[in-house]
Amino acid sequence: MPAIIEPPPEPGAPLPPLWKRLAWFAGLSLAGAFSTAAIAYGLRLLLR
Amino acid sequence: MDLDALLLSRLQFAFTIAFHIIFPSFTIGLASFLAVFETIWVVTRREAFKTLYLFWVKIFAISFGMGVVSGVVLSYQLGTNWSVFSAVASPVIGPLFAFEVLTAFFLEASFLGVMLFGWKKVGPGLHLASTILVAGGTLMSAFWIISANSWMQHPTGFIQLPNGELRAVDWLQVIFSPTFPERFAHMVLAAYLTTALVVGAASAWRLLRRGAEPESRIALRMAIGMFAVVAPLQLVVGDLSGREVGRVQPAKLAAIEAFWETRSEQPFHIVAWPDRAIEGNRFELSIPRIGSLLTAGAIDAEVKGLQAFAPEDRPPVFIVFWAFRVMVGLGLAMIVLGIWGAYLIWRTAGPEHSRWYLRAAVVMGPAGFVAVICGWIVAEVGRQPYVIYGVLRTADAVSPVTAGQVSASLLGFMTVYAVIFGVGVLYILRLIAQGPEEIAEAPPQRGRPPGYALGATPDAAETPVDEADR
Repeated sequence: MPAIIEPPPEPGAPLPPLWKRLAWFAGLSLAGAFSTAAIAYGLRLLLR
Repeated sequence: MDLDALLLSRLQFAFTIAFHIIFPSFTIGLASFLAVFETIWVVTRREAFKTLYLFWVKIFAISFGMGVVSGVVLSYQLGTNWSVFSAVASPVIGPLFAFEVLTAFFLEASFLGVMLFGWKKVGPGLHLASTILVAGGTLMSAFWIISANSWMQHPTGFIQLPNGELRAVDWLQVIFSPTFPERFAHMVLAAYLTTALVVGAASAWRLLRRGAEPESRIALRMAIGMFAVVAPLQLVVGDLSGREVGRVQPAKLAAIEAFWETRSEQPFHIVAWPDRAIEGNRFELSIPRIGSLLTAGAIDAEVKGLQAFAPEDRPPVFIVFWAFRVMVGLGLAMIVLGIWGAYLIWRTAGPEHSRWYLRAAVVMGPAGFVAVICGWIVAEVGRQPYVIYGVLRTADAVSPVTAGQVSASLLGFMTVYAVIFGVGVLYILRLIAQGPEEIAEAPPQRGRPPGYALGATPDAAETPVDEADR
């Protein structure tokens, strides 16, 4: 089973192309923001 | 003393916020530590820094999660237990909390995912950017919370409407109220010291148990650098903050120093037994005249005593006096630890070879948390009997709830917190005991759930018995 917290790439291992890295960067950060927003709205619903 | 809804609500908020502050005061510093570890790794490619990053990022993730969960409870309590405060002050203070969520919290939440799950996917440069953004987010969070609290300590830039509600008329004055700069600096430095003490204690523990371990040696030396530089700086910033307290909250200053009479040449009470009943100290060990010098900058400066304030306007003295002394005492111990460690690095083979120093570093591990909680007790209890100083009394801010309702929820909080946070803290301690090498190198084992405390260690059945143990 792979480690949950991802370690850095091995030394000398080729990096994915820049567009792919940027897409992951944007995707993961947006996923984090949307997850937070979903939890925040969920908690707010509890107050209604 | 009656356990009425007011006192129980205060106890409940004190309990939940004292639990909460443990986590942000650790994660603010740890996020910056991680940014430093990763920056050094990106620049030098020294494996030890990568190992340290991978070790501490797990602890950061758990602490961050517990900080968020315990923080949400506080927001709810403002509505359930302090609804009058919320109704009166939310037009001013609500936006500050909203700014915190919109700027700091979303920044942290967005880039924490990249930090934890995206190193191979985004590459070292973008990953480092994420770590730095999360560290910036934690500092931004502290900015808004201290801004809101500083406004409660010395409210400026607002008007009060005939119905009692408050309205901001100058947002810059609200955000940057006069005590804010010193208090923000004091809190951030406290967070850095708290983290350095934990990192130092964990490293010292490993060095005591395992002997030479390069990662622990590096982390200990970095922590010592922090003690040596930040602890004395914190003393200076704390003094500046105290001077502001004397200017805007003289009753709090009088409680901190157990001054009862207004006079020049106030003594400095090293220890005392303040008693409101006799409006004096039952016992005191003091240095004559130094109190005025320390609090007002001159021996002949007149400093107000508590008798200058009506009894109903005085904060509790005993708890404020002693919380301040515990905080300052621990701060002085941190300075000694820094100077001692710097001396060992400079003049000897190193602190990792001094068992006495390593033991002292382990003992001081929790000192930052204790000092932070004591500091907040001084700030919050010293502001009493007001919740917004000079504007709204705490007794007028409480919700129309019964003592039974608050007792039940307080008991509920105590039980749930004991279980959830007990398990969380135990898990963190087990991770720390495992140390950076094992955790960073071994992925979780088959048949064990993700995040299991011993997920990174081999199964006992698979572990070869050491020759020495045969």
